[in-house]
Amino acid sequence: MSLTFIGGIHPRENKNAKDKPIELLPPPESIRLSMSQHIGVHCTPTVAVGDHVYKYQCIGKITSGLGVPVHSSISGTVKEITKSVTPDNVEKQTVIIENDGQNTPDPSVRGFDGPLSELSAAQIIERVRDAGISGMGGATFPSYAKINSAAGKVKHLIINCCECEPYICANYRLMIEDPDAVINGAKLLMKALGLRRCDIAIEDNKKEAIRLFTKKLSGNQMFTVRKMKTKYPQGDERQLIFAIYNVMIPQGKLPADVGCVIFNTETTAAVFRAVAYGIPLCERIVTVDGDCVKEPKNILCPIGAPLSDLVDFCGGLVKPPKKIIFGGPMMGQAQWDIRSPVSKGTSAALLLSASATTEYEHRSACIRCGKCVGVCPMHLMPTYLASFSRTYNFDMCEKFGVMSCVECGSCTYVCPGRVPIVQLIRSAKVRIKENRAKKS
Amino acid sequence: MKKHPLPDSTAEFDKMLTVSPNPHIRSRETTPSLMLCVIIALLPAAVWGVYQFGLRALMIMIVSIVSCVCAEALSALVLKLKFSINDLSAVVTGLLLALNLPVSVPLWMPAVGGVFAIVIVKQLFGGIGKNFLNPALCARVFLFSWAGEMTYFTTPKTALPLFSSDIDAVSTATPLASLNAGALPGIPIIDLFIGKQPGCIGEVSALLLLAGGLFLIIRKVISVRIPLAFIGTVFALTYFFPLGDQDVHYAVASVFSGALFLGAFFMATDYTTSPCTPIGQIIYGVGCGALTVLIRYFGGYPEGVSFAILIMNLFVWFIDKYTKPTPFGHVKPEKPKKPKKAKGGEAE
Ligand code: SF4
Ligand code: SF4
Repeated sequence: MSLTFIGGIHPRENKNAKDKPIELLPPPESIRLSMSQHIGVHCTPTVAVGDHVYKYQCIGKITSGLGVPVHSSISGTVKEITKSVTPDNVEKQTVIIENDGQNTPDPSVRGFDGPLSELSAAQIIERVRDAGISGMGGATFPSYAKINSAAGKVKHLIINCCECEPYICANYRLMIEDPDAVINGAKLLMKALGLRRCDIAIEDNKKEAIRLFTKKLSGNQMFTVRKMKTKYPQGDERQLIFAIYNVMIPQGKLPADVGCVIFNTETTAAVFRAVAYGIPLCERIVTVDGDCVKEPKNILCPIGAPLSDLVDFCGGLVKPPKKIIFGGPMMGQAQWDIRSPVSKGTSAALLLSASATTEYEHRSACIRCGKCVGVCPMHLMPTYLASFSRTYNFDMCEKFGVMSCVECGSCTYVCPGRVPIVQLIRSAKVRIKENRAKKS
Repeated sequence: MKKHPLPDSTAEFDKMLTVSPNPHIRSRETTPSLMLCVIIALLPAAVWGVYQFGLRALMIMIVSIVSCVCAEALSALVLKLKFSINDLSAVVTGLLLALNLPVSVPLWMPAVGGVFAIVIVKQLFGGIGKNFLNPALCARVFLFSWAGEMTYFTTPKTALPLFSSDIDAVSTATPLASLNAGALPGIPIIDLFIGKQPGCIGEVSALLLLAGGLFLIIRKVISVRIPLAFIGTVFALTYFFPLGDQDVHYAVASVFSGALFLGAFFMATDYTTSPCTPIGQIIYGVGCGALTVLIRYFGGYPEGVSFAILIMNLFVWFIDKYTKPTPFGHVKPEKPKKPKKAKGGEAE
C-alpha cells in the first residue's frame, strides 16, 4: 500500500523524458551567475571584470547572515558584472563569465582523504556550506542552515524523491543512474544530524527507482524505502510528513518542530559530492520538456548556462512557445526570456505552446461545484477564500484560514469555472500581511 | 547557427511569451463539459418520458429549453452579465424544468417557467453560481400557481395533441396519492421502478434516473453523498413510520414514486445550491429526505421533493459555514487566561 495524504490532484504526468539518460550539455559560450540563487542575503562578488576564474572557483561569498556562496561552473574570464532583473522581479547582481574552453578546475578543490566515516558533524556542515548547497527542489533554502537548525532536535530524516510535478524526471534519472550518491549523501546527512535512521520517500510511479533502492538497501537497518502514492502535491513537506508519520505540522511551524527534516534527492547527492570530493554545487540536472521541444531530455548542465543552449541541445523548437517555465507547471515560474540562465533551484525548463498551457480567461465564474474543497491538501475552502478576496473581505479570508494556504495551486487546477483562486488567495495574503504590519 | 526561431530583441519576446503566475496548467474539465455530462445523464430518462407520454413530451422539452436559452441571452445583454450561453447551464435548467412537468400542461407553461427560472431566479442574483435557489425547481413551484394544470396527470400511452392545450383525457391518480392515503399503489413495484406509472415527464423511471446518476458519480461530476443521504433518509423514515399498517413494500414504493430519484440525483446535487463540504452534503441530503417525507405525509401537495430541496437551499450557507473543515495543522488561537474561579465562562 502506498502512503498518502488527504486531497490532492492527478494531473497528466507527461514525463516524456523519463527514459532518457542524463546527458552532458556541451560547454556554453558564457554563463550568467546571479549572486543570489538561494533564500537569504545576496552574495558579494569576489572577482572583478577581467579576472580569470577556474571551474569550481568561488566567485561570490556571503559576508554575514544567512546564505551560501556561488561558484563558477566553467573556467574563463569575467566579462561583466551587472545588475539584471530575475524572474522573481528582483534586481540582482549578476556575474557574466566567458568560457575559455579549457575547463580548468580550481587547484584548491580537493576531496576528503580518508574514510568518510571519520568526518565529524561540524566538518560535514562546513563543507556543505562552503560548497554553496541550497535546496535544489525549488525552495532554495541554504542546506547548512537547515542541518544546523535541525541537528539535535529532529528524529526523522526524509529524502524526498517524490517529484510529484508533471514533466519533471531529473530526480528519477539521478536515482536510477547514480543511486550510490543519493545513499551516501543520506548517510552523511544522518551523521551531520546525529541520526541513525532515514526514510526514502519515492512515488509509486517510479517503479524502477523503488526496485533499485529496495534491492540496494535490503537488510540495511538504517534505511526504509517508503512507497508514496502518485499524487500532487505529495512532495510538499507537510503532506509528506503527514503521509509517513501521520502528524500535522502546526500552522506557521517548520518540519523541525515535529521532529522531521526533509532533503531533496539532488541536494542529497550534491552533499555527497561536496563532502567526498570537495566539488561545489555548480552543475545540476534539468529536465527540458514541453510540446515545443523537439526531443525532451534530461541535461546535466553548468549552473548559469542560458536556456537557449539547452533548447538547442534538445534539437531546437518545433513550434513557438507561449510560455517558458522554470520548474514544474504547478509551482514553476514563467520566464520572459529564452536566454534565462539555469540556477541552483531550476529542476526543469518547460516550453509549452498555447494548447499545453492555459490562458487566464477573463470570463470566469464559480459554479460552487466544491471540487476545490475536495482537493485542497490544507483542508481549506478555496471557493470561499476566492470570493471573499474578490470582495476585499479580508477578515473573512482570515477566518476561513487563508494563511494556511501553501499555494500549491491544486484548487486552481481543478476549477471548472476557471476561477484564478490561488491568485486571489495570494493577493489576500499580501494584504493581510500588510495590514498586520501596519497595526504593529 | 540557431535552430529555434529566436527573436533578436527582448521586445519581440514580450509579444510571444505569456508571463503569468503559476499554476500553468488546468484540468480539462470545464463548466460546459460538466453540464454536458449532466445532459447526457438525463437523456435516458428524457427518452423514456417521450416513449411513455408521446411526442408532446418532446415538445415541452423543446419549448422549455429554447425559452431558457433565449431568456439567458436576452437577460445577459440587458443586465450586462457575462454571456454564458455556451456554458450549457441554461440547457440543463430547461431540460430539468420540462422533466418536472406533467405532459398535459399547456405549452405556454414551460415557456413562462423557463423565463422565470432564468431571469428571476438566476440572472437577477448575478448569474451562474450566484443564485441561492434552484432555478428549475423555483419555476416549477411558481407554476403551481396553476395548480389544476400542474396536478393533471394522464395515464401513460394516452394519445395527446402535439400543440393544442385542449386535453380531454382523464386525469388519474399517481402512486403517491394512494401512498399518502396509507395504501400501496395498484401498480407492481417493478413497474414503478421501470417507470410505467403516471407522473411528470422525467420523474417516472427510477431505473434510468439511477443509471444517469451512477454515470455522474462515476465521472465524478457529483458525489454519492447527497443522493444516498436523501434517498436513504426517505427509505428509513417510510420504513419505520409508514402511514397505515404497511411493511417494507411501502418504503420501497415510496422511494420509487414521485420525483425522488430525479430530485436526489439531479436537483439536490445542483452545485450552486448545495453545500460544498462533505459533511455538509450529508446533512443537506438528510434534511431534504426528512422534509420530503414530512411534506408527503402532512403537506397540502402530494409531492414534497421540490419544496424540500428549495427549503434546504436556504440553509446552504449556514451548513457550509458550520461544517467548514479544520485547516491542516490548525492551531486554536490562544484564549486570554481566565481567572481561576470562572468555570466555562466566556473569554473576554
Ligand atoms: S472549483 Fe472553481 S467552480 Fe468549483 S467551487 Fe471551487 S472555485 Fe467554484
Ligand atoms: S493553493 Fe491553497 S487553497 Fe488552493 S488547494 Fe493549495 S493549499 Fe488549498
